[in-house]
Formats: sequence, structure tokens, C-alpha cells
Amino acid sequence: MMKFWVLLLVAVPLRAQPVNTEFFEKEIRPVLVNKCYGCHSSKLKAPMGGLVLDTRSGLRRGGNGGTIVVPGDPKASRLLGALSYTDAQLRMPPTGKLTGREIAAFAQWIEAGAPDPREDPPEAATPATTAGKGMDIDSGRKWWAFQPVREMPEPSVKDAAWRRTKIDSFVLSKLEASRLKPSAPADSTTLMRRAYLDLTGLKPSYEEVEAFLQDRAPDAYERLVDRLLASPRYGERWGRYWLDVARYAEDNPTSEATNPPYPFAWRYRDWVIEAVSHDMPYDRFVKLQLAADQMPGVSRQDLRALGYLGTGPVYHKDARLSKDVIETLFTDDWDERVDAVSRGLLGLTVACARCHDHKFDPIPTRDYYGLAGVFASTVQAPRPLNDVDPETEKRFMAAAQRMFFLNYASNLMRGEPGTKPEESFQKADKYKAECESILAGMEPLQDSHPEMYTYLSRMVPRQRPAGQVAQAVPPANAPPPDPLSAGTQAKAPAPPQQPPPPAQPRPRQRGGSSTEPFTNSVFDAGLWVDGSDPDLTTLDTKPGVPRDLHILPHGNVATPGDLAPRRFLAVLAKGDPVFHQGSGRLELADRIFSDAAPLAARVIVNRVWGWHFGKPLVATPSDFGTQGEKPTHPELLDDLTARFMAHGWSLKWLHREIMLSATYRQSSKPREDGLQSDATNHLLWRMNPRRLDVEAYRDSLLEAAGALDAAAGGPSTDLDLENNTRRTVYGRVSRSNLNTLLRLYDFPSANLHSPERELTTTPLQQLFVMNSPFIQSQANTLVKLVDAKPADAAPDRSATVRAMYRRVLARDPSAKELDLAISYLSGATLQQYAQALLSSNEVIFWP
Amino acid sequence: MISRYSRRDLIRSLCGGLGSIGLAGMLADEQARAAPVHTVGPHFQPTAKHNIFLFLVGGPSQLDMFDPKPALQKYAGQRPPSTAGFRTERVTGGLLPSPFEFKRHGQSGIEVSELLPNLAKSIDDICVIRSMYTFNPTHTPARNLFHSGNIAATRPSMGAWISYGLGSENQNLPGFVVLSPGGDGGGLWRAGFLPSEHQGTQFNDAANEPDKMIRYLQNNQLDQQQQRRQLDLVQALNREHEQSFGADEFLDGRIRAMETAYRMQFEALDVFDLRKEPDAIREEYGHTPFANGCLLARRLVERGVRTVHVYYGPGQPWDDHKAINKELRGRCPDMDQASAALIRDLKQRGLLQETAVVWGGEFGRTPVSESGDGRDHNPYGFTMWMAGGGVKGGMTYGATDEFGFQAVDKPVSIHDLHATVLHQLGIDHEKLTYRYAGRDFRLTDVYGEVVKDILA
Repeated sequence: MMKFWVLLLVAVPLRAQPVNTEFFEKEIRPVLVNKCYGCHSSKLKAPMGGLVLDTRSGLRRGGNGGTIVVPGDPKASRLLGALSYTDAQLRMPPTGKLTGREIAAFAQWIEAGAPDPREDPPEAATPATTAGKGMDIDSGRKWWAFQPVREMPEPSVKDAAWRRTKIDSFVLSKLEASRLKPSAPADSTTLMRRAYLDLTGLKPSYEEVEAFLQDRAPDAYERLVDRLLASPRYGERWGRYWLDVARYAEDNPTSEATNPPYPFAWRYRDWVIEAVSHDMPYDRFVKLQLAADQMPGVSRQDLRALGYLGTGPVYHKDARLSKDVIETLFTDDWDERVDAVSRGLLGLTVACARCHDHKFDPIPTRDYYGLAGVFASTVQAPRPLNDVDPETEKRFMAAAQRMFFLNYASNLMRGEPGTKPEESFQKADKYKAECESILAGMEPLQDSHPEMYTYLSRMVPRQRPAGQVAQAVPPANAPPPDPLSAGTQAKAPAPPQQPPPPAQPRPRQRGGSSTEPFTNSVFDAGLWVDGSDPDLTTLDTKPGVPRDLHILPHGNVATPGDLAPRRFLAVLAKGDPVFHQGSGRLELADRIFSDAAPLAARVIVNRVWGWHFGKPLVATPSDFGTQGEKPTHPELLDDLTARFMAHGWSLKWLHREIMLSATYRQSSKPREDGLQSDATNHLLWRMNPRRLDVEAYRDSLLEAAGALDAAAGGPSTDLDLENNTRRTVYGRVSRSNLNTLLRLYDFPSANLHSPERELTTTPLQQLFVMNSPFIQSQANTLVKLVDAKPADAAPDRSATVRAMYRRVLARDPSAKELDLAISYLSGATLQQYAQALLSSNEVIFWP
Repeated sequence: MISRYSRRDLIRSLCGGLGSIGLAGMLADEQARAAPVHTVGPHFQPTAKHNIFLFLVGGPSQLDMFDPKPALQKYAGQRPPSTAGFRTERVTGGLLPSPFEFKRHGQSGIEVSELLPNLAKSIDDICVIRSMYTFNPTHTPARNLFHSGNIAATRPSMGAWISYGLGSENQNLPGFVVLSPGGDGGGLWRAGFLPSEHQGTQFNDAANEPDKMIRYLQNNQLDQQQQRRQLDLVQALNREHEQSFGADEFLDGRIRAMETAYRMQFEALDVFDLRKEPDAIREEYGHTPFANGCLLARRLVERGVRTVHVYYGPGQPWDDHKAINKELRGRCPDMDQASAALIRDLKQRGLLQETAVVWGGEFGRTPVSESGDGRDHNPYGFTMWMAGGGVKGGMTYGATDEFGFQAVDKPVSIHDLHATVLHQLGIDHEKLTYRYAGRDFRLTDVYGEVVKDILA
């Protein structure tokens, strides 16, 4: 027997730990709490087998069958036989054997004398303290990313003539220290193309390139950058970058009855594009997304910003699941918000502290649940965009949120009554009645805001009262995932005594987007799960009442620990970290840009650098903690960050500063010496050559064919539609079924925050290039565009080829390229040639 | 203008004087370099090279197929105390006996229900695990658990982990293939945070013809020769371009990927073309989408594809909340026929010993009735089976309680199952990690034990 334990111990990596109180807290107590207290607690009237495990004395005393633990002697301890299922009479826990690691921990603990710090009399299960001690906050504050930023002295360099902006001195001094020279400037055409793609996601036309080449003024490039920054195309480009960070999408991972698509998500997307276009200061840009509803002087249009939270992913919650399961699903939703905010805005992996204190960064579980509480006090609902007084707005949102749930629960009880149909039908009627009464309370809206009233009236379940036509309503798991859609429910004829719903045509269009004057948003309300009805778990939302969460060791909702009041991260907080106003969203937003401003600014400056150069200075843009990479150019990052803040958090200032640098203007061509000593180009001895992202790729193909529809904004359209020639940023983005083209070209999953895109090169992409109707259609359109001439005119193949080169590559073909074309065309059509040209590497390359 | 170049000249210009070898020939050796670079395994000598996963969406009933419970008859309609502690998802009534007769089969004498006459014949190649359990009673989270070890819809699928761990053996085909009649399945074959090359590539097995299964597989405008000629031009332009820019990993990689794609068109046309199977084999499998999937799975592993998931869908047909007996009578025959044919076929070709086949759903079903004649979701105890790839045939493992509600003897969690499959493939599940968002992730998170007793 002893041998067995020794083997076990060898097999698992526990031995390095000293067996002491901390070992008990980390390895033993959590198992006792989760697996044993349920039946063996001093709080129970009759603990099973007379055994009590939540006190030290109880554990030592044993149960009706005698002692179970002999300190120092695992072999004689019956507990181990029970845990390892080797004792035929006693196998514990009955719900399933513990893992080998857990069992080994018990063996090791007993071997070491079973140290047990618990005091009698019995304590409440307060596993909060057992959640694993993390890093000390005070020493954690010393981490580089948490330090204030300041402008740095410009390093001296030998080749001072190369410098164009302050950035260059930081880069060059490092290059010189490594005995590397920077690369020559890119030629004008390449530089211009780079700048166009960078700021607008489109390539310059042949004419624009020619005009630029003619412009001999010394500030020609500078003026070009300014012109591009002022272009409306700029917002579409840089707004899209932000949408990756914000994991923007228009539906949910499953889009079932309780998590339907977001019909107004596109309004958030448009707001982002507009705000970026207008160079809204970054701090305000983010604050509006977290708390626009709580900031003074915010226009109604700026309320669209709340789509950041209002379209965040949520999971389906079938009301027939138990309270614990529903609660767990909510904690997953809140976890997503904590993750998106902390990694996206602060470069911190706070979600690591959900089950235990963060192992590597100074983030205790208390901070995690303090932040999660903000999102447990924030509920999604549509918000009217029309002018409305604050009180009515609040009532509308609360009503919409409540009616949505009632509608769902009522349809569920009606459609799937189960084995207690009487009870179910009663519930269905009750919820329906509550819906009707809420709607009745909103009657005054009929005159003042008919659109709001119409919206709500659609959420009243359209069922006959119980006992009339039981099958009138389709089951809740049939496809009406959109509670806003009256379509499926309207199949049941409304009872005669009830007036038919207002016969408003639904202004819904194309793929679930709606143009009604609402926006997917959030409002302050604490959310509780009510499990008092064992057959139907309901939700209790309290508008204006925040909810603090308990720490949940191991993320287990069944074993709540200490309460963790809503608060900011301790390591970043200056002064009292606790939030006091409503959900705390505004305080969170304010703290990010006051207490944590240097970190928040570093994070965005690093992202922007990465989007310009293809590689950020900190290679892990969403992890500035100890597990992340350190910056390749720390002084540069700090200096740029400090100046970015001093320039009012202006992204356009930052673009200009970066793009005017000699560093940015370098050629991206390979150089033997550079590749030898710095293959990954950490030192920036050249510009990074890249593949186009999917947006720039698709848009520039459409542009080359003269087919791009430049219309800005509005509801999304499916990118698969043949006649969809709008910019890719206006294509529909799905969490449950991402468009094939987007997926093929590495568009990130919007189920969670994406730190950066990984650009791949795969055969399936090339199948798209070779065989898709999209490419074929662009080829045909291109041919029509350049080959438009009288039918009787003699065909001039060279002129046609030249015209295609100008459209597709904004240049003339070389003699060799022209020869290849002419030769190919001797046995092929212009369309086939056009497709070949569109398929070539140069089209998708971003040098 | 008259062409100054013949096709031969064109090729010569591409190949720098290599003449008629042609670009494809020149690129052949580059195929070897195209292997995904992220592979980390195997950690030890594997007993399987491939994994086929037959997934019965919705949660098939163990009580009517593999886990006979005579006590259900005795207590029919009652709710004995030992069944009281299990919360079911919906309202459930008393115990519902299975009307299907169980008989002993094969050398092993394992009991199999009359619903599965074909699998019964192959039972000596099968290891029936009767003590599976999982952690969530709802379809979507449970399916996520099943595929990724976590209820969230974000973690990488087991197939993606395997691709990440072992790479592909056939550069002309994806390493992780998903066969499913339509639907995205909620991204069950996602790469999650793993590099996207490891994501499962889905093909619609409701069709028989490859070009209906694979998007953009075929060129509807050019024949093979015209397409080759067009690609030669593209590659000539690419070489010109790379010459002016300089050597570049991406430019080079795209040239190779184009050649792979070109070949994949024909390889896939061949491998996915079920019309190429002899009639006798075709008949053995049957003619349903699931039969297509099983047959394709064999054709794919034969050609070196690492992981194939075959889904019995669309939707979640095995979710028998009502009229379960009638439903199973309708649905079992084609499932039984195709999955048994797969085992026999793999065995005949000597592939079974190197292919880990797993069969199951996201959970099982309750012994207590729902809506009178249905069964509710049961995560506490259910059956899966495995075959091939070093798993012992003709054995049962573990057991549920008297009524089949809960796994009580040698319970096997979903993490244990993952650990075991990875083990067959030569991967130590604790060592297959990926650093993401600040920590190392595993398919099995912090759980999972290899079920050694079922391995030969």
C-alpha cells in the first residue's frame, strides 16, 4: 500500500511544495469544501456517518466507523482508501473519484502530520481566503507598465541626418548599438501605397500615384498624410481596428431564445467609425463606450457608444436549468466583460483571477469580483435614440428588459408545458398578464413616442389563454430566436377581446439589422437569479440597484466566499478603490483614465504602433503583465505615450508622428545583414512587409474592378450576396456563423477580445482566389471597364493590358510582364487574364 | 500582335532554363516545407495516428442501446428514493423501461440492444464505456465541453489541439476535417486561440459530390489544362514580383499554397467523390448523410488526414424528449449500419489498429420519463464507445447505478476521455499546452486521467 502512495507522489508535481498551512489552504481545504461539506458539515442536523469535516476536531475524531485520519501515517488512514476507491466498503466522494493529483495531495498532507489551521468552533465555509494567495500588491506596483510615463530625453545618434522625428532617434540608437543600418527610404510609389493602405485601407489610383510623383514640394508626403487623415475612408479603416479590440459582432455565439441577434449593433459600428473619423480624444472615446449614459452633456447620438457593452456576447440561458447553472452562465457573461475591458483597455489578464488570485500578476480574486460586480449591475436593453426625458427612457429600458424575459418564459411554458401542463399554462398566463400590465403602464407613450410603444407591444406574448388552443404557439426551441420579431408568434390568431398589435410594417431589413430608432445598449440594474421555483428559474432585475458579488473560489457559484464590493484594481488604484455610484461604470471609466492613465495610454499607443508597422513594440498587446513580452523600445514607448497624452489623446496626432518618421518611411525589402542579425526585425532595420488584411484585400479588389460602393454607414449586409459591393467593414459580422471569406482570411472570432490578428497563408484561401464567383465577377467587371470601346475598333491587347495594370496595380507593366500577358492572351480570354492579374501576389502584398 | 512565346517558352522562362520539368515539378520539393510549423508532439510512441469522432448530436440514449437495466422494468413508473437526488432539466416522471431486447454478442458476450444488430456483430472490436459523465445538462455548453473541455464557446476543439500537436500527414488536405450536413454547429471545430491553420474545415456530407461539399473547390470556367496555364502565368508574375522585391516568407508561402490548392482540387475531387467507391462497400455503409460521413472518414484517414469528426445531424436529432422508442426505431438503423461498416472496413484495410474511433453524444438520457414517453438529458452517467488505435475490443468499462442514472463504478469524465484519446495519439495531455492571454492552456485544463485499463 505504501508503495502505491509513493508511486502516486512521484507521478504528480506536488513535491516541491512544503506541506504547511498554505498547502492545506491550497490543496486540501478547497476539496473538502467542494466535495465533502455537502454531507459532512457540523451545520447539518445529521451529518452522514456521523462524520464532520468542516472542523479540525471533527476531522481528527472521525465518524461512526472510527477515525479516518492518522496524522503521519497515510497507510493507516481510512480516508485515503475511500478517496482512492480502493476500500470496497467506502468510496468517497460518491459523485466521482477525485483526480490523482488531489488524492496524492491528501496522502502527502497526512504524511506530513495533517496540519490543519482551522479553529473550533466550526467556522462558516469561508473559502474566500483559500482562493490561493497571489502577488503582493505593493511590490506589484513596481512593474514597469504601472509606472508613470514621461517624455524621455532624445538619445544621441551618429547618423543625425537620418532622423526626421523624435521616434527615429530611439530606433536609430538601438540599431547603431547593434551595428545595423536602417534601410533606404521606400520609393515614392511604395511609400504612397503604404500610406494609402495604412490610413484608408484602399490603394491609390494610377492618377493619384502620378500626381504624387509629379509633386516635387518638400512637404508633398506630409500633405498626403494630412489629406488621408481627413478622408472619410480613414474612419472606416481605423474604426475597424477598434472593432477587433471591442469584439464587435451582431449576434451571439449561439443566438437562441434568450440571446438573440442584436438588430441595432450596426449603430455602434457607425458610431465608432464617426468618432474615429472626427479624432475624438481616445480617453473620451472609451469612456463613452463604458458609461455614455452617465456622463454629462452627451448627445443622443453618442449613446450609440454603449454598444460596446450592449452587443457583448451572452450565452443562452434555458429557464428550466437550475439556479446554479443559470448563475454560472451569468458569471460567464460577466467574465467576458471583465476580460474584454481588462485585456482590451488595460493590457491586463484580470480574468485569470476568477478562480484564484492571479498567479503572475498582482490581481487578487477580490479585484476580479469587484470588477465583475460592475457588470452584474449592468443589464442589456435597447435604448431609444429619439429625444426622450431621462425618466421615460429608464422606464422604457426596464420594461423592454423585463418584457423580453416574460415573453420568453411565457412562450416556453406554453410551448413546452412538460408533465405539469396545468401549472405551466398558469405560469404562461401569469407572465403574459404581467407583460400586458407593463405595456398598459406605458400607454402614454402611444402619443409621445409611438415607436417606443410599438417596440414594447411586440413583446407581449400572442397566445390564447390557457385551455383554449394548447398548440397555438410553436415550441420555444423552434426558431424564433428573435424576441423582437412578431413573425412567428403572430401565427396564433390573437384572441378577439384583445386589440391586434399596431399594424406597423417592420422597418427591418437585410440579415436582421433594423433601422428603428434604437440602439443596443445597457442600463444600470443589478441582476439576481431566482431559483425559488424548482421548475423554472427566473430573473430578478432591480433597476438602479447595484449588485456586489461574492468571491467564488474555483469559480464555483455554489460556494460563495466573501463579498467583494465593486471596485477598481487595487494595484492601479490611487486611494479608495471602491465604487459608489450606481453600477460603477462611470467610476471605472474615470479610473482607467486617471489612476491607470499611463497604462491605458501605453496600451493604445502600442496597438496603434502595431497596426502601422505590423508588429507592436510590446509583442503581447493585450498582456502588459509579467507573462507578457517587454517592449522592444521601452523609452520610445514611454516617450510617445507621454506626448500622446499631452496632445489630448489624439490618434491623428499619433498617426502623423509615426508616419512622418524615417523609421516608417524605410523600404521593407529584405537585407542580408538585417536578416542575419535580427530576422524578426525587432530593431526595425526595415519596414515589415505584410499581407493585406481581409478588409483591405476585398475592398481593393472591388476598387480595381471599379465596383466599390463608397456609401458610408447603415445596416449591415451579408458579404456573400453577389451584389454586395460595399466596403467590407459594412459586412455582417456573426459570432455563430462567420462569413466564409472573413474566416478564410483570419478575421478574428468575436466571441472574445482579440489581441491581434494572426495572418495566415493557406490553400483554402487560394481556392477562393482561383474559383470563387467573387473573384470571377471582379475579373469580368474589370474587363468591361478597360475594354469599353467600339466593337469595330481593332483590339489593342497591349493597351488593354496596360489599362488593367493601371487599375489593379496603379502602374504600367514592365516589358517582360507585357510579353507574358500577350503570350498568355494568345490562348486565353481577357477575363482569364484579368483573374490571373487579380490573383497575383502583388495585389495582396503590403510592402 | 503575334505571340513571341510558346507555352514551352513560357515554362522555360518560369523555371530559369529547367525546360519541360514545369513549375509543378519544380515546386514538388517545396511541399515538404509547407508543413505547419507549430507542431509539438508526439511525446511518446503512439498507438494511433488518426482520430475519428462519431458524434450523435442531441444525446443518444444509453439505456436503449448499450446499458441494459432490468430494474427499470421492476420499478416502472415509480420514482425510487435513489433517483430522487438527480435534478433533471425538465419535469420528469417515473422510471421508463426500455422496450428493446438486449442480447449477448460475440466472444465477449457484451449485451447490446436489438436496435444495433450491426454494431453487435462488431462488438469484439469495441470497448463500451458505460460510466461516462459530464458537467453540464444543456446542449450547447455540454457540446462545447465535449469538444473543447470547457463550456465556453471559445476554447479550441480537440481536433485543433491534435492538429496543433501532430500536424498533418497530407499537405494536399486539411489536417482536421469536419463532416456535417450543413450548419456551423456553434463553432465546435474552432481553433480558438490556436493558430487558425488548425481549425477544422467543414464539408457538407449531405452531398455525394465533392464540389457540393467544398466551397470554391472547382473552377466552373476553366478545364484543368486552362487552369494550369492560368496558374503558370500567375506564378510567373509572382516570380517576377519576388525578384524585384526580394525573398520573402509570405510571397514564397503564397506561391506554395497556390500549388497545394491547385492539387487539392483534384485530390479532393478524388477523395470526396463517393461515387468512386465500389457498390458493395457503398451498400455496406448505406446511403444517408451519416453513411456518407463514415465512408468519407475512412477515405480521409486512408490519405493521412489526422482528425475527422462526423456529425449525425443536422440539428440535434438524438434529443429524444418525446416518443423515444418510435424515434430510435427510425434513427438507429442507419447510424448502426454506417458506424459498424466503418469499423469493419477500417479493420479489413488494417487501418483500425492505427485509428482511434470514438462514438457518443454530449450526454445520455434519463431513466425517468419525460412527457410520458421521452427521456430528458442525463449528464450524470451515460455510454460512449471506442474502437481501434490501441483500445481493447470486446470489453465494457465502468458501470452506472441500478437504474442507469449515474456513473458509479470507475467513472470516466470528459477530460479523462480527452486525455485517453491524446494518449493513443502519443500526446501527453499535460504537456500539450499553448500560451495564451497570460497562461498555458490545455485541452484538459487541470483535469483528466488516461483510462489505462482500456488500452491494450
